[in-house]
Amino acid sequence: MTRRPGAWPFLLPAVVVLGAIQLYPTLAVFWLSLERRIPVFEVAEFVGLANYRFLLEDPRFWQALGTTAYFTVVSVGLELLWGGGIALLLHRRRRLRGLLLAGFLLPWALPGVVSAKMFEWLLYPDGGLVNSLLGAAGGPAGINWLGDPAWAIHAVILADAWRTTPFVLLLVLAGLELIPHEVHEAAAVDGAGRWRGFVHVTLPLLAPVLGVALLIRTIDALRVFDVIYVLTGGGPAGTTETLTVYAYRTFFGTLQFGYGAALAVATLLAALILAGGYLRLVAPATRPAAEGA
Amino acid sequence: MGRGRSRLFSDLTLALLLAATALPFLWQLLTSFKPEADLLRLPPFLPERWSLEHYATVLAHPGLARALINSTGICLIATLLALGVGALAAYPLARTPLRGQRLWLAGILGASLLPVIALVSPLYLGIRLLGLRDTWLALILPYLALSLPLTVWLLTAFLRELPREVEEAARLDGCSRFGILWRILLPLAAPGLFSTGVIIFVFNWNEFLLALTFTATDASRTVPVALALFPGIHEVPWGDLAAASIVVSLPPLALILGFHRWVVRGLTLGVLGQR
Amino acid sequence: MEEAPNKAELFRARPARLGAWGLLLAGLLALLLGCRGPGAPATEGTTLTFVHGKVLGPSDPLPGLLQEFEARHPGVRVRQETLPSSTDEQHQFYLINLEARTPFDVIAVDVIWVPEFVRAGWLRDLSEVFPPGERPAFLETPREAASVDGRPYGVPWLMDAGVLFYRVDLLARYGFEPPETYAELARQARAIMEGEQDPRLAGFLWQGKQYEGMVVNAFEQIWANGGRVLAPDGRVTVERPEVVEALGFMRRLITSGVSPGWVTAADEELSRRSFNAGRAVFHRNWPYAIDLFEARDSPIRGKVGMTRLPRHPGGERVSALGGWSLTIPRGSRHPEAAWELISFLTGEHAQKAMALGAGFKPTRHALYQDPELTRYQPYLPSLYPLMQAARPRPVTPYYLMISQILQPEWSAVLVGIKSPEAAVASAKVRLLHLLGQSR
Repeated sequence: MTRRPGAWPFLLPAVVVLGAIQLYPTLAVFWLSLERRIPVFEVAEFVGLANYRFLLEDPRFWQALGTTAYFTVVSVGLELLWGGGIALLLHRRRRLRGLLLAGFLLPWALPGVVSAKMFEWLLYPDGGLVNSLLGAAGGPAGINWLGDPAWAIHAVILADAWRTTPFVLLLVLAGLELIPHEVHEAAAVDGAGRWRGFVHVTLPLLAPVLGVALLIRTIDALRVFDVIYVLTGGGPAGTTETLTVYAYRTFFGTLQFGYGAALAVATLLAALILAGGYLRLVAPATRPAAEGA
Repeated sequence: MGRGRSRLFSDLTLALLLAATALPFLWQLLTSFKPEADLLRLPPFLPERWSLEHYATVLAHPGLARALINSTGICLIATLLALGVGALAAYPLARTPLRGQRLWLAGILGASLLPVIALVSPLYLGIRLLGLRDTWLALILPYLALSLPLTVWLLTAFLRELPREVEEAARLDGCSRFGILWRILLPLAAPGLFSTGVIIFVFNWNEFLLALTFTATDASRTVPVALALFPGIHEVPWGDLAAASIVVSLPPLALILGFHRWVVRGLTLGVLGQR
Repeated sequence: MEEAPNKAELFRARPARLGAWGLLLAGLLALLLGCRGPGAPATEGTTLTFVHGKVLGPSDPLPGLLQEFEARHPGVRVRQETLPSSTDEQHQFYLINLEARTPFDVIAVDVIWVPEFVRAGWLRDLSEVFPPGERPAFLETPREAASVDGRPYGVPWLMDAGVLFYRVDLLARYGFEPPETYAELARQARAIMEGEQDPRLAGFLWQGKQYEGMVVNAFEQIWANGGRVLAPDGRVTVERPEVVEALGFMRRLITSGVSPGWVTAADEELSRRSFNAGRAVFHRNWPYAIDLFEARDSPIRGKVGMTRLPRHPGGERVSALGGWSLTIPRGSRHPEAAWELISFLTGEHAQKAMALGAGFKPTRHALYQDPELTRYQPYLPSLYPLMQAARPRPVTPYYLMISQILQPEWSAVLVGIKSPEAAVASAKVRLLHLLGQSR
């Protein structure tokens, strides 16, 4: 625990902001999850953990959890590979780097709702670009990207990964920039090959930033909403319904605010467990850069 | 030495990746120039007749310009505030022995893990009670709170990458802790600061749910909500939407292009300042 | 190992820095508070807040109409708040805002929300202000859909009824009359598809994506087979052979190739665009589409016919009712002026303007025979009987919850994951749980 009195003034503004703005709503949600609250029908009664008991037996919840897990793993993996790879390639360039960077950050310049619409347009089954290209190349007649249970989840993953890869790219690039040149030179002098140099020198130094990117992207993927809601609404047949989409439907579709709050808390717990796992497993392995040197 | 070949390889790979990344965007660009009747005729992929009708509709749309101003102002202010408060909090966290740090970070992060949809109702109640509905502040405050944990996490990671000797040297010279942060660490961590700033800015820029609920008119409406207003009760004007998407991504694009030079400069300063 | 900070230094530097930050923040705050929008009107006179979904059309007549209204009512201004067209987003917006008692004056409400909002106590009873003599001027079904227990809570503003569009030229080429039954429709579609030998020509396009629109399609099919999800007295009658058959038919449309597989991803616009490009024989949609089909540069201009939706043996030809009503929320501070606005916007003059400018289909009997309107929209008289025969979805405050139960079940049938029997059984269990529990 931070015992030095000098740390407090620095932490105070953040604590005040979070406390003032986020504390009440967060507590309100926790309290709501212990109630059976249905706005229109004026149902508001305290039911303790009943919502959570129902949740554990709710097949739609478990399906949503599975879908969310699948979405998260594939999406984050894709982003790390894609974004990290681009960052490595970009890092070594000097010419045109600004322009290229801007190009790669393009997907990010669009609001999520709009990029989802863009993918919807691209994936239009009859007359969209992707299916037209496939047809012209002699491929299958027309893939039902958003209406086929086998394809829909992957279309949605692609749309989300496309949009959020720039985040990973940016982080990794900045992390790479902060590694002093001397480190690379020293490794080269020591006779390490490119690949060895990367694995044994660059990667460990990048570890804190990579870890943060991994954690944050995972937590964000757990809570993805806009893209899925616009593209498929959770369909077809609920195969793209993640926890947040289910919670949204519960809140605003079925008006069960109490149960919706319980779902939100469940999502929070899942994220906390992941964060805890990260802090326990990954964080100790990452030490501040210069300490070991 | 395969240096030339490896450079060619990396260039080619970059070009391919760029094409893949830009494809949906390029398609949107092409769509925005196609007249309404041709929108679903494929092939041909390039517009047979180039039409500016969609841009005319979009630019004549009074709300879009105002939405751009609102979004830019709101996001910029929220981002700057988040960076300021976040940097302050990140400093002790980056220098704390590991156990306490983990606890604090977990606490700060944990506070923000609830999906926004759960928070909308209680937040709205507060906004209304304070009479902030349809103002910039109604969005700036929640955006600040929502982006703060991420900011703190990121800045902590960036600050931790920096070597301690510089700090210790400055301390011996009699610099105050705030002075160390302000004059030494932050300039050194400039690339991280700017990256974080851009990330937070875009995160705020894209936010939809709160913007939809807390805004009512052009006075405070942000870009995502303005774009969501393009479709009518029955129809979706894809051409207009495409044109609007292009127009609306120009400011963040400009920001990104401008930002890149700052990163380079910050890095150069840091290197020079260090020795 | 850190040394203890020198307290004196800390003390010295802090006030100056903190002061600078504080000033900056204070300045920003001041700027912000001054940056409030024109939301706080310095008025004498009344300002009405009118909330509605985005109006799209060749030209938006609403601003002109509102100006006219303001001219006729000096001292009254109307402030529009436009919402995105997605009904889900609007519903969620209203839920949050009306719960928090935001003072709106007139709000446009989807037909399926009225019972729910009335139950929540959010809408004002209009019995006193809506003269009984004027009520019959409006079509019955939308008027009833906007009433609860016989008391009007809204006035129908625009209405929709499911319509079957078909290609007149293609049917004529093969000597077909517009189909009366769905079996006929399927037969005709297959014959035409085989005859035309066009791989891109689809037989029958409809809405099968997992959303409310698909539930509407399903209701129409179920009713066409004489079935009902809920009986008029509220009993759950979903587990019946008529319902199972209807759902099975929808699935068979896809498996037999009459409808392309992607109808399971189709909403109104996706299916409409394909038909509009000439790539289908039959199409189910709302009447708004006809204006687009008859637009100047439409590839199928002059080739489209409209008729009632077909039936199954043992059922009737019936369409689902859609549309929007204007209502006055309880939180309104100017209910009299709000009523004036509603009266104006649902009057003949305004409805005509909305029909011509925005493609809104009128809710008044007289307008369907109006010579001026029919000159520009000659299909109106033939649309009239379809509108009259429209049937509302279950009129109950639980409707949205019911829809949430039906959506994944029906969607599972359409993509072939569940059999109609299983889906119907599962739906019944959930509906009973919903209605029994909350009764």
